[in-house]
Amino acid sequence: MISFIKNHTLTLALLPVLVILSFTSLFVGVIDVTPASLFSGDQETVLIFFASRVPRLLALLCTGTGMSVAGLIMQQLCANKFVSPTTGATISSSQLGILLAMLFMPASTLWGRALFAFLFAILGTWTFVFFIMKIQFKDVVMVPLVGIMFGNIISGITTFLAFKFEMTQALTSWLTGHFSSVIRGRYEIVYLVVPLVIIAFMFSSYFNIVGMGKDFSKNLGVHYKGVLFTGLTIAAVITASIVVVVGSISYIGLIVPNVVAMYKGDNIKGTLFDVALFGSLFVVACDMVGRVLIAPFELPIELIVGVVGSVLFIGLLFYRLKHGNRAIRRVRQRGEATT
Amino acid sequence: MKIRNLTKKYDENVVVDSANFEIPQGKILSLIGPNGAGKSTVMGMISRLIARDAGIIDFDGKDISRWKDRELSKRLAILTQQNSIQMRLTVRELVAFGRFPYSGSHLNEEDQAIIDRSIKYMELEEMEHCFIDELSGGQRQRAYIAMVIAQDTDYVLLDEPTNNLDIYHASNMMKMVRKLCDELGKTVVLVLHEINYAAFYSDYICAFVGGKIEKIGTVNEVMTKENLYEIYNVDFEIMEIEGKPLSIYY
Amino acid sequence: MILQKEQGRKIAVLSILVAAAAISYMLINVDFGNTRFFHYSMRIRTPKLITMFIVSFAIGSAAIVFQTLVNNTIVTPCLLGMDALYTMLHTAVVFFAGTGSILVLNRRLAFGVDILLMGLIGTFIYDFLFRKTKHNILYVLLIGTVMSSLFGSLQSVMTRVMDPNDYDALLATLVASFSNMNSQIIWAAVVLLAGVMIFLRRDIALLDIIALGKDQAINLGVDYNRSIRRLLLGVTLYIAIATAMVGPLAFMGLITANLSRKFFKTYKHSYLIMGSALFGMMMLIGGEIMVQQIFAYNIPISVFITVAGGLYFLYLLLTQKKA
Repeated sequence: MISFIKNHTLTLALLPVLVILSFTSLFVGVIDVTPASLFSGDQETVLIFFASRVPRLLALLCTGTGMSVAGLIMQQLCANKFVSPTTGATISSSQLGILLAMLFMPASTLWGRALFAFLFAILGTWTFVFFIMKIQFKDVVMVPLVGIMFGNIISGITTFLAFKFEMTQALTSWLTGHFSSVIRGRYEIVYLVVPLVIIAFMFSSYFNIVGMGKDFSKNLGVHYKGVLFTGLTIAAVITASIVVVVGSISYIGLIVPNVVAMYKGDNIKGTLFDVALFGSLFVVACDMVGRVLIAPFELPIELIVGVVGSVLFIGLLFYRLKHGNRAIRRVRQRGEATT
Repeated sequence: MKIRNLTKKYDENVVVDSANFEIPQGKILSLIGPNGAGKSTVMGMISRLIARDAGIIDFDGKDISRWKDRELSKRLAILTQQNSIQMRLTVRELVAFGRFPYSGSHLNEEDQAIIDRSIKYMELEEMEHCFIDELSGGQRQRAYIAMVIAQDTDYVLLDEPTNNLDIYHASNMMKMVRKLCDELGKTVVLVLHEINYAAFYSDYICAFVGGKIEKIGTVNEVMTKENLYEIYNVDFEIMEIEGKPLSIYY
Repeated sequence: MILQKEQGRKIAVLSILVAAAAISYMLINVDFGNTRFFHYSMRIRTPKLITMFIVSFAIGSAAIVFQTLVNNTIVTPCLLGMDALYTMLHTAVVFFAGTGSILVLNRRLAFGVDILLMGLIGTFIYDFLFRKTKHNILYVLLIGTVMSSLFGSLQSVMTRVMDPNDYDALLATLVASFSNMNSQIIWAAVVLLAGVMIFLRRDIALLDIIALGKDQAINLGVDYNRSIRRLLLGVTLYIAIATAMVGPLAFMGLITANLSRKFFKTYKHSYLIMGSALFGMMMLIGGEIMVQQIFAYNIPISVFITVAGGLYFLYLLLTQKKA
């Protein structure tokens, strides 16, 4: 029992915080919805609650879980801590897909656009990973650098097309991720995240093995390319289904797995649940900040995540420069041993 | 040049621990020792490339930090290992930089003559208009030495001049260094990895272990079985060739 | 000596090309028959052309100097977010002073305040970045890229907080762009460009030596750290000028500086800087003509520069010898 608590301190700490925060999140908004008014059965309150607040919370949880797990999968498969939907061109590719769907099928439904987004996200991610596997960089930092640039180029093409066909207004909604348009009937695609994360959970040991390299997996009888591309496809579809609903949400897939790894070490087994929890917590918290800061208006979550995420990422890079790839716990122990 | 209590720390690691020695004028002094013993750091500090934490470096009666940059660069030249130049530069242009402390970017007749002489001295006439990045490692090293000669200083400090050179070029380089001292009367300080080069080509040896000076003296004084064991923790045999003590280890 | 003549010829060729581009820019589609229209188009195009000259010179020379300072040819100030920093600082000034303040209404005054802030904060941030990463160029690049997006997010947050309803309109008045050039500060910009150049003339003359690397520069008697800091200050100010006039242009310096280095194949910074500026002018003026003629003003030129520059950056990153 004690060892269980010791091994799961992070989980046990995160879970209640997430529950409390989620509950609070349900009652934050322009129109006052309090638990009391809800239970009194006020018609309007109940409507707002189930048409807007609950969908929003569910979308937030799916986004947090999905983005961070997608990042974790990509990092495991590529054996590089800096690969993620943001730094692997996945997000920008899905945006390009959405724009093309709007261009070629102006009458397309959300599902039609989603299919395009899936397709392009998968293609973009595959291309990028194929590319980095082929080149074999000496320095791990090269990979995110190339990825960010690759993403920039794809975004540039998207902007070009948007300007050319005068679609910039329509595209804006997918460029800066926000949850304000999440209402019942318009967000359900994001539920795709749930089965995909479960599949990822079942296959996580395969992803681990593939991350150890081609020869290593062959030795253990794991089909390297098959698992690699299946894993990337799962990560890409998770990302794309979120981008279609809320737009681009950067850095979460990059930051969350790294922060969790700093506390739990690089032993990936069993971190998936913590990563999902922490990711959800992060998104719910950022969303709340965005809703409270300039109430009654609302800041898109992408901006909050952009500020917090990039600061954390810069901190992470400086930390890595100083300590290499060690987990915080081990550094602390070392510090105690020497002092 | 006199060095007193020279000390350097990185965080809490003491890399050089109050080193005291003098650099004999008109002679070659080699700094040797195992990796991480602090010899390159000492070299960096006496050439003002690395800031020191404590100590005095007395150069001609004045601490090195109180010299004007330009004046010091007319008296003391340093050549380090990392010379990664990303630009297109010919040998002659590189050597011409040696005259910068004297004439800035406007070179006069005298400067040109000195540049010619330096190039000739290092036998680089044939490739004086070749680009540096097209040369072999040995040629490039010679071009840098030519620049140092053009700089016309009394003191020349060389950090591992034989690094990355094959045996032929390395021994030629050492002969060149000897000539700098004997013919041009320069005081030379070297950091060397290969102790036999130090033994054969220099006058004095200063051995560092763990940031401290373990042994200092003439070549014959330092190059004994017992001393070398203390420095490197390996058994050596000493042989005499051309009157110089050379060591064998395995 | 022959080499020098050849370099002079190259400069001449580039200048003629720039002049040709400038003339065609001024005269394309101008109605000579109607003097009223003629004067009108001249009045519109002249400040635009001058602005493009200034911006090309500022970005082109800043990129070359910066590359020499960090001893690497795939890094430019805008890749590290210097332009985004300027835009953010400008927004921050308006944010704290209020949209009705004189700092928004008087563009020249605003420019002066921005320049001051940029000189202080920019130099501090980038000096810190280089020291902290110990000049590890890949980390510098990655952190710079992320900083760039951080500054962008902060700027958006401030703009939206100021006026959530009119976000887009406010953004357009805060950030210059090619369709919305800030030509009111032409004179201030020219004075500042010249002033910085006079202030730094000694350090600029040392660039050829600094390019040899830190150890060599110190060996040859250069007060290295002082020169580096002063030149870095100059670079931040130049980028500030360019960004104040046309907004962020992330990849332009990268392209022009590298073209200039490849074209002149020399270490002499006087040629490299001139070349980089001239290539920039050709690129901007040519691009502007293309945007007018082919795309009927629909697509801002910065979009093309981003795509082309991104591809070029990847090419440089992947072909560099020692990573």
